[in-house]
Order: sequence, then structure tokens, then C-alpha cells
Amino acid sequence: MCCTPGLIRASRLRYKRAPAVFATSQPNRKQKRNKVNDRQTQTNSSKIALQPTAWRRFCRNRCAVTSLAVLSSLILVALITLPLSTRWYNVQSLDQGVRRPPALAPHVDKTPFALALRQNEPDAHADDATSNRADFGYEFTSWLGHDDLGRSVFYRIWPALLISLGIGLGAASMSIAIGATWGAVAALVGGKVDMLMMRFVDVLYGLPYILSVILLKIALTNPLTDLLGGQTRLAGVVILFIAIGGVSWLTMARVIRGQVLSLREEPFVEAAQASGASMGRILVRHMLPNLAGPIMVYATLVIPQAILQESFLSFLGIGVPAPIPSLGRLAADGVQAVNTFVGYWWLIAFPCGMLVLTLIALNFTVDGLRDAVDPRS
Amino acid sequence: MLFLSFGLLAALLGYVRWEAPPRADLRYANSSGIHTLDPARMSWNQDLRIAMNIWEGLTTYDPETATPTNGAAYFPPRISDDGLTYTFTIREDARWSNGDPVTAVDFLRGWRRCMEPGTATDYTFLFSDHISGVAEYVRWRRDGTALLTALKQLREGLTLDEQDAKRVLLHLQQIDHASVRRNGHPSDKITGAIDAQYLLSMNIDWASVHESAFETHVSEFDERFAAVGISAPQTNTLVVELTRPCAYFLDLTAFPTFSPIHETIELLRSGSSDSPITEEGLVVYDAQWTKPDYDRCGYPGLITNGPYCLSEWRFKRHARLKVNPYFHDADSIACRSVEMVVYEDLNAAIMAYEAGDLDFLPAMDVPYDHEIARLARNGDRPDFHLCVLLATYFFNFNCISEKVNGKPNPFLDARVRKAFALATDKAALVEQVLKRGDRVAHSFVPPSAIPGYEPPQGLKYNPEEARRLLATAGYSGGAGLPPIELLHTPRDQWVCQAMARIWQSELGVTVNLAGKETKTFGEDKANHRFMIARGNWYADYNDPTTFLDCLSTGNGNNDSGYSSLAYDTLLVQASQTHDPSERMKLLQEAEAIIVQNDLPILPILHYTSPIAIKENIEGLSPNPRMLFPFKHVRVVR
Amino acid sequence: MMPMLVRRLFWGAVTIACIYTLTFLMVITVPGNPFRQSERNMPPEAERALRVRYNMDDNWSYFVEFLSGAVRGDFGPSFTYSDWTCNQIISEAFPISAMIGLLAILIAIVIGVPTGVIAATKRDTAWDFGALALVLVGISLPTFVTGTFLLILFAVHLQWAPIGGWGTLAHLPLPALTLSLPFTAYIARLTRVGMLDVMGSDFIRTARAKGCDERTIVWKHAFKIAFLPVLSYLGPATAQAMTGSFVVEKVFGVPGLGQHFVNAALNLDPGLIMSTVLVFSALLVAMNVAVDVLYAWADPRITAAV
Repeated sequence: MCCTPGLIRASRLRYKRAPAVFATSQPNRKQKRNKVNDRQTQTNSSKIALQPTAWRRFCRNRCAVTSLAVLSSLILVALITLPLSTRWYNVQSLDQGVRRPPALAPHVDKTPFALALRQNEPDAHADDATSNRADFGYEFTSWLGHDDLGRSVFYRIWPALLISLGIGLGAASMSIAIGATWGAVAALVGGKVDMLMMRFVDVLYGLPYILSVILLKIALTNPLTDLLGGQTRLAGVVILFIAIGGVSWLTMARVIRGQVLSLREEPFVEAAQASGASMGRILVRHMLPNLAGPIMVYATLVIPQAILQESFLSFLGIGVPAPIPSLGRLAADGVQAVNTFVGYWWLIAFPCGMLVLTLIALNFTVDGLRDAVDPRS
Repeated sequence: MLFLSFGLLAALLGYVRWEAPPRADLRYANSSGIHTLDPARMSWNQDLRIAMNIWEGLTTYDPETATPTNGAAYFPPRISDDGLTYTFTIREDARWSNGDPVTAVDFLRGWRRCMEPGTATDYTFLFSDHISGVAEYVRWRRDGTALLTALKQLREGLTLDEQDAKRVLLHLQQIDHASVRRNGHPSDKITGAIDAQYLLSMNIDWASVHESAFETHVSEFDERFAAVGISAPQTNTLVVELTRPCAYFLDLTAFPTFSPIHETIELLRSGSSDSPITEEGLVVYDAQWTKPDYDRCGYPGLITNGPYCLSEWRFKRHARLKVNPYFHDADSIACRSVEMVVYEDLNAAIMAYEAGDLDFLPAMDVPYDHEIARLARNGDRPDFHLCVLLATYFFNFNCISEKVNGKPNPFLDARVRKAFALATDKAALVEQVLKRGDRVAHSFVPPSAIPGYEPPQGLKYNPEEARRLLATAGYSGGAGLPPIELLHTPRDQWVCQAMARIWQSELGVTVNLAGKETKTFGEDKANHRFMIARGNWYADYNDPTTFLDCLSTGNGNNDSGYSSLAYDTLLVQASQTHDPSERMKLLQEAEAIIVQNDLPILPILHYTSPIAIKENIEGLSPNPRMLFPFKHVRVVR
Repeated sequence: MMPMLVRRLFWGAVTIACIYTLTFLMVITVPGNPFRQSERNMPPEAERALRVRYNMDDNWSYFVEFLSGAVRGDFGPSFTYSDWTCNQIISEAFPISAMIGLLAILIAIVIGVPTGVIAATKRDTAWDFGALALVLVGISLPTFVTGTFLLILFAVHLQWAPIGGWGTLAHLPLPALTLSLPFTAYIARLTRVGMLDVMGSDFIRTARAKGCDERTIVWKHAFKIAFLPVLSYLGPATAQAMTGSFVVEKVFGVPGLGQHFVNAALNLDPGLIMSTVLVFSALLVAMNVAVDVLYAWADPRITAAV
């Protein structure tokens, strides 16, 4: 799952030939596209000619479009429920019985213990018990059942989705920031520096990534917590970004280096060079638009991987800091409830269902994107 | 590639056994395998469990009451009237697994090894706290090895830390080295920065200094040990002199750390043959001496004196025990073979137990243990049992650091600690979160567990009082308190999340959870890098001091950094008191200080742990120390 | 070909040396005390004595000592499991992981490749979608979930396999199947992309024009080239699969090598961390060289380029 030289090799071949295909075939469509594009270029000159067709091609891929729709509606629901989730995700109801199965309406548990607790201490857990019921959103808390602390799975699963995607995006941005820069610099500088930089990538590939993630996490925890002024929770999430992103930029570096190398040979770059444009200008004005596609594709490839890696860390108990939920943490906590004695099926089914839905949708979207950006298929 | 893989796979298939080996009479599971079988180094429950069955101390534990009984020595030993001298007579028929008789010297060898700094025994304090002369001997050895190591490093031109550098300088003064005289170093001058560079600049022949220090140390080696209160006047007699009367000493001698060791271990001692110690002053043995099939330097493999001996030990796979044919009761042992199987995931072990692959689960520490405990309590599963353990789960408050992660530490104030303790709804944690049936703890020492000792009442749940106390401490309604850091391991996440929530709603404080991996957790805890940290303690012997000593000033396991003159004084007084009931009263007073006034720790619960024993296994029963001698087991098929 | 092999092996050795140095730096900078056995604290002199005993007193001498041992094939003692040497631990665990890993890779090829080809040849049909969705479930669920379900289904309910543990041949298939899922998914997607790539190229069009039947085109002409990216993926994938997976081993109670990567890191056991990393990287380099050789053999044009 971590090494993808196969994809790189394949893609390198494809992208190399890509512009030629555009230049020669389909003259009619090309003209049409240019017309459409003219308006856009006036307002936003850095928009590239490739994108509208790519988008149109993507739209023709029903599977990818469906996936994207599913993904966006999931995110939309998560965003809409966010105010409610932040209110409810950590509300424990110890006195009403934990691990309650899904129900349409929350029920008030009348076990003797709970009653006794409330009679003795009318004030106890006031926040979690009585006054809560008046708040909006209480009636949905039992829809997907309750976890080991009586918290609503429904209100934990939506922020979990956002957190997981956030970790994915964070790792993807890390891999863009480090990987793309690394690859581009290596390719542009070339020579000995290029070789050394790529050898370094090879060396990092040779490290077992689980071990590196764990060691990175252990090494960074205390210094980074100090750096962030002791904000444990924030530090916990940032460390995850760094630990996961820190091992997932390698593929990006290789791909981008290959891209830049092949782009350097292109006539339009040579033309720009001949007209005396600086290297930075060539990179930003001429190469970046052409690199945007592959960068985007490989960055999105990182997202599902990062989500799974976080779930693995959660399985080890060192994922996102509690009580923040993530899909991986919910699944890892849920899988521990699977046993031959009692079935808390809702603790595993819903988080895993959400995880599968998200990751399949993500994967299909990425595939669609890749097919769309890659003009030959 | 395909062919290559097939070929490799085929070659490897030869490695698998096609048929399972014959089933052992008793099969049980452990979750993490054996860490070490060296009785001097072990501290994990699963290691101790095997050790108890392959070694036999002077006494052993009764399987039902967990009290000491017959062991390799006749029981009871002769105890002098002042309760200070124990004379053990070793049974004539006590034998090693190769047929050699067990002698008092074997015990001396085993016990002395535990006092060696190079062995790194966790339980050295069991010897030094109770047996006369051991503390001095251990101190002398530790100082000696530290000095020799430092001198060796200077000889090689390496750097030292300041403490070692001072040690070396002191040594030079003691031996009145010429260079010290030349440079004029009266002892009171050693206050400034002394470092290795300074020492190296003194232009001393470190090799000769090291050599003479080494020779001095070796020459005193046996002389110093002779001052220790352990002796073997005859081959079958071991005399032990205690520092104070100790009601539980026979309990200690059953503990695996007090096991004898067969003389063949000397074959594997590192270093030159003519000196007992290495250049650094350490006594080091080849760590592989615990293997049953290790044969370097003519070593015959592990020889033990218990009812069983090790027949096979595969790393993280299994360990097999068979009856020691020379054991004095060998013929009466019904269970002839035992196999310990490693299941990293206890969930799989429980499934295997349900399928009949396993007979006994000494731990069922799974996320659904509340369900197992319920089945055991209701009697729905007669093969599930609950062990009420002599152990406490608690939280440490940091009583020593001014600042934690750059924030002021409010727990220096005992009122804050007390407020947090009063606000903790332990009943909710125990009965609603864990649901395992643990006993709610208001004291450090578990109640009605140790004969003659009843812990003080402790503090009951009282949020009103908690809020009032917090207000008097200047944090009314939690205002002014920094976010509280709660350090814990992944396994504690449920309890800690619930506690965070309870404190949040009762006291209005923000609680941040810092869940860390076990090693980092341990490091942070030992270095007081926390505000509140999870702690737990399992009794090593049947006496309140096994708990209470942890909180004395300077104790290595005093993670809260608590220091109270009154508490320390009471503990010292108790240790000097000969009258048992008077002693217990003093200890009770001491505990009252920590659980009612100062609250360096917040006791949450006393563990109750479910175990599973198949109904056709007789002779294993739940007990508070989780001791399971297999020699009494009888399998009814 | 020979000079290429020599060059690759040389660079492999350099890479391994760099990996060793990097791991060593990580190990000594990570905070924590490798000698801490339990939660009980250790007297400083005893810790000092252990440092001396394990040669950890001086970083540089430990670096040299471990390296010279490793070159001779001796990784020294494990710090956490003091009764065992790293060699014993690895030789106990590696054959098990290797067996499971190889079987997993075989399963992945046998399932993944045809799935990918079918998905590509029946592009944008229900076949494509279904085949992909099926394998995607394999990488969309964490292994600890799929493993637990397979265990409960096949071992507990159907009783086709023993519940975890190791020792007989019957213990082999379930962990291998679980381990193969992510690899299957990846191989299927690689094959699909590769096939789509090739099927659109000129020589396939020529073959079609020639009147070759579709089966021959797909399997004889297109597949040969489409398999190349899979081949280069198989190198690192085999190395990874053969060194085991922590989750699979934990769920099924298999005493393989994967657990040591995680446990060594969590226990901060320097000897075991470095020896497992060295074993992994050596295997990875070896597999990559093997793949390059196969590649050159399969596609002679590449030899010049590599």
C-alpha cells in the first residue's frame, strides 16, 4: 500500500505523450474548447487549457460522478450537523446506561442504580442528564446507538468523517508541500543534486513506514506540545499530520520529478527559455499548470491511505487524541466490541459502513480524476 | 516471479508441522509471551507464573489461601524469639532437574545475584529492606561499579557526566592520589563544575588508577558479602538475619526472586575466569542461560528445582513444561505437562478457549470483560471466575513540579487535589463505565485483604464540598485553573474520558487527555511531566507497606513526587515497631494522611479480574495474588 | 545485463547503509528509556550498568559495534526480551511471515490480475464497476476489521480453520487471505490502468485490424505489456508482505515478524528496531533488483534505459 512505483512508471509513459495527442487529434473540439476558454483566460490567466475537457470527461464517467456526489453529500451532511455534533459528540450519559442499541427516540433508563444516583445527587451530571433533554438535537442521539460511555454514535460519526478527511487532506497537503517541491527542485537543478535527492527518497522508501510513523510520533510528541504552548489536543492532531504526511510524500516526489523532466523537453518550455524567461517564471507560468493535474491526482491518492494509516494508529491506541472521534478510532473501538458473547453490532457496523462508503467513493473519484486528466484512455 | 514465489513457498512449507504435537494436559494462554525467565529480572505476571512452577523457593504458596507453606525447606523454619533470625533446613529430597541435591549455597547464589547492579533486578528492595546488611552491600556494589565504569571511560578518553566526575574526584581524594595533593583539593572544594575535561587535564594515568581500584574492589568482594545477614553454615542450612521482625518474610521467600540457581550458570559468566567481575565491576552472565537447549561452553541448558522443568521455549509462540522427574513430589503430580500458548490478542484466546483449544485463561483483559464478569457473577458460566485482586488502580497528582508543559501546576495545593478527589464519582466509573464488578476504592491498600490491617475510610463522593474546596483554593467554579493534563495509556481511554467529563461538569475545569504509548507514558510519569497520571499497583507481598512505601520521599516508584515528613516518620516508626498490632496502627495513621488529607493519589478501584478455568480442571482456584501452582492440578477427562 | 546488476547491487548496499544510519539517528534521538521493563522505575546505577552491558553507554561505539555485528550477521541482543538475541527472534518469526506473505501475494496475483483485465476489457459496464467495487472493499476496510470478520466467520461459525495460533498448515490460509486483500485491490487497479493504456495503443489497433480474435489480443498482446507495472509493484509489495503485518498477526495470533516492527518501536528496543529495519530494507533492495532483472528480461528495450 505504501509503494507505488508501478503507477509512476505507467503514468510517466502516458504523460510524456499526452500533449502530442492534444496537438494533433480532434481539431474541432480543440477549437470549441479554445472558444470556451477564451473567456476564462481573460479573468484568470493561470487557468489551463486542459481543465475544462478534463472536467467534461470526468462528468461522462458515471461511476466517478456518483462517487463524487456521494462524497459531497456526506460532507454536506457532516457540515450541516456540525453545530449539533460539537454540542453532542462528547455528551456522556453514564446514568442512562451505556452501549444502548439504535432506537428512533432516546429512552430514559430506569435501572435502580440510575435512579439511586439521581436521587442522592440531584445536581450530579446535570449537564449530561436532565437539562440536556431540552436542547435541540437530543431526539436524534439514539439513531445509531450509543458507545461505551453512552455517547451518541450518530453525533460522533459525522465529525469523525470530517476529522478523517481532514487528516487525509492534511497529509495530502504535506505531500504536496514536501513531495512536489522536492521532485521539482531535483528535476530542475539536475546533476549530482538530483541524484542525491532521489537517492534520499530511495532510502526513505526502504524504511518500514509503520515503524517510521510510530517513531516520528513518539519523537515529536513532547517537543511539539511544548512548541504549541502545551495544547495537547492540537498538538496531537498536528503530530498525526506530520507523522503520516512525513512518510507519504515520497511517491509524489518521484512523480513530479518525472513530470518536470519530461516537461523540460517540451517545445513550449524551450521556447520560453529561448525568449529569456527565468527558471522561476518558467516553473510557475508554464510548468505548474501542466503539473496541476498529476499533483492533484497523486495528492488525492494520499487521502485514503492517510485515513487508513490513522485507523491503524488508532488500533494501536495512538491515533487522534481522545475524545476527538475519527472514523479509524470509531472502527478500532468498535472492532474490540466484536466477540462471541455479546454483539454491539452498531459500534462496528456504522463506523465501518461510513469508512467503506467514504473510501470507495474517494477511490472512484480519484480513478475518475486520473482517467479524466489522462487524455489517452 | 510466480515461479519464484511458488518455489520459495514450497521450500518454506517444509518448515510447518503437518500435524499438531500431542496436546499437553493443561493448556493456557498469555497475551504477550514471556519477557524473561531469569527469576532475578522478572516482574511481569506471566513470567512469575511460569517461574513459580519451575522453581521452588524455601517456601511456596498454598494455591487456595495464597499463604506460605512447604517448599524446598521444611516448614515452618526455626525463628528466633526476637523474630530476627530465620533458620531454614532444606529437605533432603530437594533435587534439581538433573538430580543434583539442592543446597543452601544454591540459594545464596540466587539471592546474591539479585543484589548485583549488573543484573538489574526490579525487586532488589525486597532483600535490602528486610535482610540485614544487604542495603549496605548493594550500595557498596552500586558505587563501586559506577566508579569503575567511570574510570574505564576516562581510560578510554570518553566523557562523563558531572555526577560521575565528582565520584572520580572523591575517589582520588580517598586514595590520596598524588595529583590531588599537587592540585590541592580539599573535599569541601568539590562544589563547582567538575567535568571530564577537567579530570582528563589533570594528567593522570587512568589505567593504573582503574587497575588499583579494580583490585581493591575484587579483594573486598567476598569480604563485604560476608557482612550480609545470609549464611550457609551447613550445606542444608540457610540462616537469614532480618533488620526487623517481619511477619510476611515467609511470604517473600516463596516469591520467584528468592529462587535458588544451579551452579552451572557459572559456566556462562562473562569476563576473565580469574576475577568474578568485569572491568566495569559488573557480574554478567550470558543472558541465554534460561534456555532449555542452550549449550555454549558445556552449559547443559536450564536446570531448575521446581515441580516442573522447561522442555521447550519458542519465542512468542509457546513454552512447554514437563514434570521434573527428580522433584520430591513428582509422583503425586497429576498434570504431567503444561503448555503456555501466546495469543497477542486475548480476544482470539477467548475464542480458542470457547472452542476447547485452551483449558485455562489466567487473564481475560478484553474490552468486553464486563460481559464476562456478568456471566461469572450470575453463575451463567460456572467456568468463569472473578479474582478479587490485591491491587489498586489510582491516579497520581503531580505534587512536585512547579510547571507542567509551561503551565502552572495547580496540584501543588492539597486543597485542589482534595477537591478533584471529592468530585470523582467513582461509583459511576466502576458500575457504569467498567461494569467489571471492581470494588470502589477510597484507600490505597485494599480493605479486608491483609490480616490485621484495615485501611482508613478515605473520602466519599461529595461534589458540594469539592466545589467549596476549589473555591477556597482560589479557583471558584474552575476559573483560573489551566487546562488539566491527564496522562494515560491507550488502555485507560474509557475511564479517563469519563473522568474528564465528570470533572468538567462538577468543577467546571477543562481536561485534556494525553494518551501515550506505554514506554513514553512511563518516561513522562517518572519525570513528572503530567498533572494527573494513571497509576496502578499490585501487591508484591501480603503487607500494607508494599503499597504505602511507594509514596515515601525519594522512593523510586513515587511518581507523584509526594513528600511529607509526617508520613515518612510514621513509616519509619512502623518499621521499627516490633509489636505487630502497634505497627499496623501506625501504618493506618500513615495511610490516613494520604487518603484523607494530602491526596497525592486518587484511588479509584481495587481490581477484580475475570479468569476462566474449564470445569474439568481441578486444583486451580481464583486467588487475590493470581498465583497458580500447576502441581495441584488434576484434569478430569 | 551483468554490469547493470552489479551497479544495482552496489547502490542497494549504499542505500542499506544510509537506511541503517538514518534508523540509528532516529533511535538515539527518540526520547525514552529502552531499559524500562515495566512501569516500575529503576535505580540509576542499575540502568547505568545495563547501558554498559548493552554497549549503549556511548552512541558512536554502539553504532560501530552494531554495524560490525550486522555485517557478520549478528544483530546482538534484544533489549526488551533480554533472554533472546535479535537473530533468534528474527529467525523464529521470519519464515512464518514469509510463508504467509508469499501466499498472500500469490492470492493477490491470482485474484487481482484477472479482475483488473475484466474491468478493463468491459470498461464502464457493470462488470467494471462490480469488480472494482469488490476489490475496493478490500482496501476500504482496515485490516483489523476484515481480519476479525474472516476469523469469526471461518473459524468460529463455519469452523473451517483453527482459531488463531500457529503450528500446522491449517493456520496458514486465513491470515494469508486477510493480508492479500489490499494487495489484490492494488494489483487489480494497476492491471486495469495498464490494460486501458495498452488497449488504446497502435499495435493493438493493428492486431484488431489484422483480424486477431479478441482473446488473443487481450491475453497475448496487451496483457504482456500491461503486466509490467504490476511486475514493478510486486517487488516492494513482496518485500512488504513477507515481513508480515502487525494487525494480521495480532488478530490471528500468528508469531510473525510484523509484530516486531511495531512492538520494537513501541518498546524502544534499539537492537530489534535496527535489525528488523535492516532485514526489511535488505529484502526490499533484493526484490527491487530481482524485479529489474525480470523487467529487463521481459522488455529488452528497458535494459538500455536502466
